[in-house]
Amino acid sequence: MELTESNKKSGTSAEGCIETAAASKAENFADSTVVSVTACTVAESVTTTPADSSAIKTMGFCGPCSASEPAVIDVKDGRMLRTRPLSYTKNAPAGGLNPWTIRARGKEFKAAEKSELSPYALVAKQRVYSANRILYPMKRKDWSPGGDPTKINAQNRGKSGYERISWDEATEIIANEVMRIKDTYGINSVFVQSDGHHQVKSLHGPRGCEGALLDILGGYTLQARNPDSWEGWYWGAKHVWGQDPVGQGSCNNLFYDIAKHTDTLLHWGCDVCTTPWAWGGQFPSRYCFFLHDIGVKQIYICPDFNYGAAAHADKWIPVLPNTDSALQLAIAYVWLTEDLYDKEYIETHSTGFDWFVYHLTGGDDLTPKTPEWAESICGVPARTIKALARHWAKRNVSIAHGNGGSFIRSTYSHEPARLEVALLGMQALGKPGRNQVKMMEYQLFSLAEQMPAPRSEVIPNLFAVLLPYAADTRESLVPETLVPEALVGDYSNEQPLEWYGTTVAGMPVEDQFKKYSYPAKDFKRIHMLWIDSPKWTSSWNCGNLYIDAVRNPIIETIVVQHIWMEDDCLLADILLPVNTKFEEFDINCDIMSGNYNSLVIEKQAIKPLGESKSDWECAAEVAKKLGADVFKQFSNNNEPIESRAQRGFDASGIQDRLTWEEFNNKEVYVVPAAKDWQDDAAGFYNFYRWPNHYPLKTPSGLLEYYSQRLAESFPNDDERGPYPKWIEKGKTHPDERLSTPRSSKYPFLLVSNHPHFRMHSQLDDCAWLREIKMCKVKGPDGYAYEPVWINPIDAQELGVKSGDVVKLFNERGWTLGGVIVSNRIIRHAVLQDHGARIDPIEPGVSDRGGTNNLIAPKKIISQNCAGEVTSGYLVGVEKVDVFELAKLYPEAFSRPYDPETGPLHINHALREERN
Amino acid sequence: MKVFVFDAQKCNGCYSCQIACKDEHCNNSWIPYALPQPTTGQYWMRVDEQEHGAIPKVRVEYTCVPCMHCDAAPCIKAAAAAGVADAVYKRADGIVIINPEAARGMRELVTACPYRAIYYNEELDLPQKCTGCAHLLDVGELPHCVDLCATGGLRFGEEEDFLAEIAQAETLMPECDTKPRVYYLNRPHLFIAGEVWDPYSNDIVEGALVTLTDAQGKKQIVSSDDFGDFWFNQLLAGSYELEIMAKGFVPVKRTIELAESLNLGDFPLQRKD
Repeated sequence: MELTESNKKSGTSAEGCIETAAASKAENFADSTVVSVTACTVAESVTTTPADSSAIKTMGFCGPCSASEPAVIDVKDGRMLRTRPLSYTKNAPAGGLNPWTIRARGKEFKAAEKSELSPYALVAKQRVYSANRILYPMKRKDWSPGGDPTKINAQNRGKSGYERISWDEATEIIANEVMRIKDTYGINSVFVQSDGHHQVKSLHGPRGCEGALLDILGGYTLQARNPDSWEGWYWGAKHVWGQDPVGQGSCNNLFYDIAKHTDTLLHWGCDVCTTPWAWGGQFPSRYCFFLHDIGVKQIYICPDFNYGAAAHADKWIPVLPNTDSALQLAIAYVWLTEDLYDKEYIETHSTGFDWFVYHLTGGDDLTPKTPEWAESICGVPARTIKALARHWAKRNVSIAHGNGGSFIRSTYSHEPARLEVALLGMQALGKPGRNQVKMMEYQLFSLAEQMPAPRSEVIPNLFAVLLPYAADTRESLVPETLVPEALVGDYSNEQPLEWYGTTVAGMPVEDQFKKYSYPAKDFKRIHMLWIDSPKWTSSWNCGNLYIDAVRNPIIETIVVQHIWMEDDCLLADILLPVNTKFEEFDINCDIMSGNYNSLVIEKQAIKPLGESKSDWECAAEVAKKLGADVFKQFSNNNEPIESRAQRGFDASGIQDRLTWEEFNNKEVYVVPAAKDWQDDAAGFYNFYRWPNHYPLKTPSGLLEYYSQRLAESFPNDDERGPYPKWIEKGKTHPDERLSTPRSSKYPFLLVSNHPHFRMHSQLDDCAWLREIKMCKVKGPDGYAYEPVWINPIDAQELGVKSGDVVKLFNERGWTLGGVIVSNRIIRHAVLQDHGARIDPIEPGVSDRGGTNNLIAPKKIISQNCAGEVTSGYLVGVEKVDVFELAKLYPEAFSRPYDPETGPLHINHALREERN
Repeated sequence: MKVFVFDAQKCNGCYSCQIACKDEHCNNSWIPYALPQPTTGQYWMRVDEQEHGAIPKVRVEYTCVPCMHCDAAPCIKAAAAAGVADAVYKRADGIVIINPEAARGMRELVTACPYRAIYYNEELDLPQKCTGCAHLLDVGELPHCVDLCATGGLRFGEEEDFLAEIAQAETLMPECDTKPRVYYLNRPHLFIAGEVWDPYSNDIVEGALVTLTDAQGKKQIVSSDDFGDFWFNQLLAGSYELEIMAKGFVPVKRTIELAESLNLGDFPLQRKD
């Protein structure tokens, strides 16, 4: 086979392993769907003696300038040996760390002495040496550059195999295609997609390397980066409490405030043992154990007994997905009718409360929002709603969030977000012990107010050397939620696709009132995609329609650069192999771990595998083909990477504390805790105490139960109206509830949370995670199916038991899952985490991987809010016979498959090439 | 002498210990203590997970199960019985090691262990298990699983430093009398829970006295909380009598055969008048 020669040339052991895997599959493939692959366990790769070098690497996934979880990677004989926590104390600066301690109720919670890594960090080795790595540039075999519809074979994207090509050929093709598109349609017909959350890198990208190059040629159309995990706060809560740019509450110093003053913490749709693992580590869970020790009651309100609840809940109140608004309104109704709220605070701190009362009492819809009314919608007994309302009114209650899930990512998600602020207001938001706290993404956007843990002396940043970031904005853009429509919809300059707001995560609220259109004025539509960190199919709203869109010949060229063969890689025409961060030199600032901030030099730990390059180098290789001037400009005169790192350091905020040489030598600077952190006003305290001197960022400076601005800007919007309310159905989503007609065909609400055993679709190929009991369900055919939690009573009615395989379906297609019958999920809902790697059966229709985003509603949150709806929607559930399916779809069910890794699409491609 | 101390109340079930063990031992050979652990299927540090109860009174129990490094280790006895006394030995620090040079082919070690802590590596023809990361202990470091436990659920150290906690702790399967060196704090065992409410006012009943009497006549009394909930925790399997008494309501009695944790559900109380 063709690979052998090149393997001999490059000769890293991992390549050898993958080679072995591919070869063994070729032999066994014809007879069996499950082939045994022993990836990377060859004897010569065994390490027997201590490490001979180490490198520090941040292991979190948030994004540039938002790293977390610094770890030490030990290396031996050029291979990664192990992953260890980084010691803060051993790496303390000369003046010490000024380690902080929260003292409350006779107990202490201290800064950790070493980083608190999540399990995701511990599978690093498996990800690096995965059989799923893309190691060489590839070209889809039945695609030809040039834009000729008969030679594109767009209909075969997701089906046809790949052939290996050289870097020279790949970059030549890309450069020619870019110039051809530019000359034919204009440079804005190249669409740059960079999906959120990948390994965090500063100098190497991803996120925008290709954009930086295209800007030299005149521009590109940007896939705008949504506030995808906190949609409701962005589109809803901002209109009640301001809170630009995030939309969530002020978290400043709240861990101290909660420890001192809070009686009950409501984890509302929050899983402190899932999302923080990718955006910070184990710190929030350790804090929740401390809250238990000091007697703070922790109540979880969510459809599922999630992993945070499993570790920390004193009580679980199961609520049907995306019916939180009804529960919230009933709580407010109890407070109103039993006189259990802070009327003086409402008087001095809010405006428009009478409108809210009008809705509560049924003035607008003739339905008083009683607990009995809510019970029939949300599934929480009226007596429990009353008990919760009274419990809350007597105590200091704060609410914790961790992003994602049905609470904040479903239809009309602006309503539960606005209603939560309305409730917090009724109990004097900002009074000690009464705030909203976020359990992850500390110091998001480098904001001090987004830090509930004790403050560090500085928040280091690397703004000086960041590439144009995918969270930027520009004139020509498409929101992530509208990509399929933009790609193939019938839009033109005369009849453009229109929506409100750039939808970019960090934009101020004023942006939501501006209308945007695609194609932007004077530009033509998109004909080429250049994608890094792909995950549209597995993470956005209705991946099946995205697959349909890119199988249209109007999309002439798709370039994808990525580390692993997953998600949208399967749809590429050209694939470029990207390094993991362990193969790169970089500099990163860790601001999301919670204990201390730090600035880290990430030395190259191991050599790049195969012919992989960094995202930045991928773009640089194309730049070289575009001419010496373009490359010179792109590479800042071929500036050495160390020099770029030093420029980053020089403006990082810690450059006056030690020299570049000292920093480079130590590899890490841990920022001490601020001396006076205890004095920081917590959360909304200043607003609570002095509303006139510390107004909110709303037009009135007060909590706006009625938004005059919304009323004036969108007088005809009967979905996101001027005040928050219960919306059973509306123009945008007329039929997505258990109470609406489609539920007779699709009788379950799907809870699609951020995944517990991976980071979106990343890590789905790690054997050490896949073998954990709750991570995958082994079907009767030996395939590891993505779990579907089903309540025992529902399971009985459906006639399914644990270990069965079911189909989740609606009009938009179907995907499969392995049943876990469990009391951890409320009746009439099923849970399947989002982000399992796609494994198409019929591309655009059906999938074996459990990638439920493929069948999420395509429609946006509501008519003027272009956010995603990816949880809390209707699905049907039906038992399937996988052996029957295998007969119906022999090709999809006989794909090369390694039980430890999952489907191996790239080997599939290579196998075809060999035949 | 070293001990492991596992605290169920500080474990969030993250499996980092199980994965850290693989990070340390898969593809890595730590002779003289161990040859590599297979990539999957074997768990020298195993996390057991069990769901308890019924909606909405549900809990999840996680238990770390490494080699117990028993002082009366059945594997050491089995090796001696097989005439290969050096196949398994106890170090001066209490850590039990299967000698990878001497133990080849000894499948009987797997069955000798009541804790299912010894695995058979077919490829190497070798029984294998937790070494306490002896290669790391030798250079003054922690076992990798313990180093990666961020919450304090799994700790390791000198027995005398843990004496107070060991006095409160249990060991697994004490009936086997193997004198394990792994101690368990705050094991949840089983629970009985329920909720009381008044169907006339559709309100929960706070302050109902709920009495649980075990087969020996020992009573526990709890008061329903402001959600109407009552919980009896850390129960052992057996027969129990439950009585609910609330002022103004007819008492309720139940006989319970407790085999697994039980959510009794909600009790709509009858008013006396």
